[in-house]
Amino acid sequence: MMRQEFARDIASLDAVFGFMRRFADEERLDARASYVLNLAVEEFFTNIVKYGKGREGGVLLEAVRSGGTVTIRLEEETSVPFDVTRQTVTQFDTPFAERKPGGLGIHIAREMLDGLAYDYVDGTSRITLTKHLES
Amino acid sequence: MFSISVNDEGIVVLTGRFDASQTDRAREVFAGLRNSAVVDFRDLDYISSAGLGVLLATQQRLKKDGNAIKLVHMNRMVRDVFKIARFDLIFEIE
Repeated sequence: MMRQEFARDIASLDAVFGFMRRFADEERLDARASYVLNLAVEEFFTNIVKYGKGREGGVLLEAVRSGGTVTIRLEEETSVPFDVTRQTVTQFDTPFAERKPGGLGIHIAREMLDGLAYDYVDGTSRITLTKHLES
Repeated sequence: MFSISVNDEGIVVLTGRFDASQTDRAREVFAGLRNSAVVDFRDLDYISSAGLGVLLATQQRLKKDGNAIKLVHMNRMVRDVFKIARFDLIFEIE
C-alpha cells in the first residue's frame, strides 16, 4: 500500500502522477490500467481542487492492490460533503456549439473504472475508485 | 512532461501528458489558429477532460468560420477517451 498527502493545488498534479507512476511500477500494472487510474485520479483530484477553494488541508491519496483489483482512495477534510457518484452528465444531447466540458471528466472516469464509491464520515470526505486488472 | 508546438507545415504537434496543469499553455497555441489545421497526436501519451475542453473550445471557435481541426495518429487509449466522451462525433479523427 502507498499513501501520500498532496497540497490542494493543480500544481500538485506532477507529484500526483509521480505517485501513481511509482505505484504502477511497484505493482507492475499494464499500460491500460495505469492510464485509467491516472485519468480517474486526475479528474477527481482536480474536482476537489476546483470546488474546494479556500479549504485548508491537503488531499490524501492511498493506493493498494489486492490480487487482481486496485483500489485508490482520495480523502479530504471538509465540512461540505459532495457525493460524486450522484453527479450526472447529460451534455450529449446539447447542440455542438453550446456544448461545454463540465462533468465530462467524471463521466469518462466512471465509464473506465469498475467501481466508484463515496462516503462522508466525521468531516472526512472519501472517494474510492476500483479497477479490476486484466489477467 | 507536455509540449505543444506548430511545425513548419502548420501542424500542431502534441507530446507527452496533456493534463489539467497544461491547459493555459495549450490554449495560447490553439488561440493562434485562424484556419483549419491538423493536430498530430503521435507522441501524445495521455489526455484527460481538461485537454478535451481545450480542443472543444478550439473546434467551436473555428467552426463558426467554417474551419476545423483534424486529429491524427492517436494511440488506442487516447482514442478510447475520445469515444467515451463522444468527441469522435465532433472531430474528424484519422
